[in-house]
Amino acid sequence: MQSNVKVRMFAAVFTLIMFTVCPISSSGKSEPPRVECDVHAGPCRADISGTTVSLDIEPKPVKAMRDLTFTVTFAGGTFVAAPYIDLGMPNMNMGRNRVILKQAGDLVYRGEGVIVRCPSGSRIWKAKVTVPEVGSVEFVFDVIY
Amino acid sequence: MLSTETIYFVIFTTGLAVGFGHCIGMCGPIVVSLSLSLKGRSVVVPHLLYNGGRITTYGLLGGVMGATGSFTQVVASIASLQKGVMILTGILIVVMGLAMAGWIPLGVIFGDYYNPQGVLSRGFRKLSEARSTATYYPLGMLLGLLPCGPVYTVLLAAARAGMEAQSGLEGFLIGMGLMLSFGLGTVVALLLIAKLADLGWLKRRDVIYKISSVVMVIMGVYFVIKAVRY
Repeated sequence: MQSNVKVRMFAAVFTLIMFTVCPISSSGKSEPPRVECDVHAGPCRADISGTTVSLDIEPKPVKAMRDLTFTVTFAGGTFVAAPYIDLGMPNMNMGRNRVILKQAGDLVYRGEGVIVRCPSGSRIWKAKVTVPEVGSVEFVFDVIY
Repeated sequence: MLSTETIYFVIFTTGLAVGFGHCIGMCGPIVVSLSLSLKGRSVVVPHLLYNGGRITTYGLLGGVMGATGSFTQVVASIASLQKGVMILTGILIVVMGLAMAGWIPLGVIFGDYYNPQGVLSRGFRKLSEARSTATYYPLGMLLGLLPCGPVYTVLLAAARAGMEAQSGLEGFLIGMGLMLSFGLGTVVALLLIAKLADLGWLKRRDVIYKISSVVMVIMGVYFVIKAVRY
């Protein structure tokens, strides 16, 4: 009886591991992520607390494992601290990959970072722009491997 | 600004969290294959050695990242090596699958068909087992080179820490410390999976070994295809 339970447990674990791949392995969210903007064509835009924020990544096309420059521009507003960007994959914990931004002009912040490559082949990434004491917004886009 | 000790702890917990998510999915097939190929022998020491080897490679890579302060250049220089390791891993899983079912005559390596009776022969077998167990350490070192998203992320942190270091040596030590912390965090999940895949308790293992062999061969081929496309 106990042996049967162990066999079933083993079979479940074995099957799970053998057929689990990167994008669905971590959070259990099975819904495929949707690309919301074409970061290769130009900046991505979204609203945060009534202000439009745009994220641009250079050089284009945006490739993984390259030194990239991230620029965040606000249409208006005043901020007590510089925003920062957390890079990750929509359905997976990739560890903390934070891009620290510094003021590069009036309402413009810039920083350097790298989007790493996932061997699963999944190319959809997200950049979560956080403005301290204001809020955050996510941009979902695809990168080239 | 976080203290160095706090950063090590944060990276360790990152390894812990990533281990139970990402690593089980990505390294799980390798760990399960290694456990199954032991065919009922104790999995603890071989897997500790495998993880020790993997963490050694992580530490060295972190050290290099910290010393150079350059993530993209170092990664670019080892890219083809990583691809080769990925292909080799796939082939290894296929071979282990075939050997486990007895479809290729590698059973002697796994010690299945060798059943010595004499004192000297038993001594030789123990020596042979110790030697084959020790190979898990260099195997772990090699497989530590496998491309992996979270490993890249922590290597990136190591390179950044290296850029802020006062000297190359300080950068090396910080980078190595970060990667060792991360690697240690990932060990828990992989050891757990290794133990779950241990069939030593099962009396009638042949059928499961045969089924597992087929799955391992498929998984190995999938690994190779992924590696070629990488």
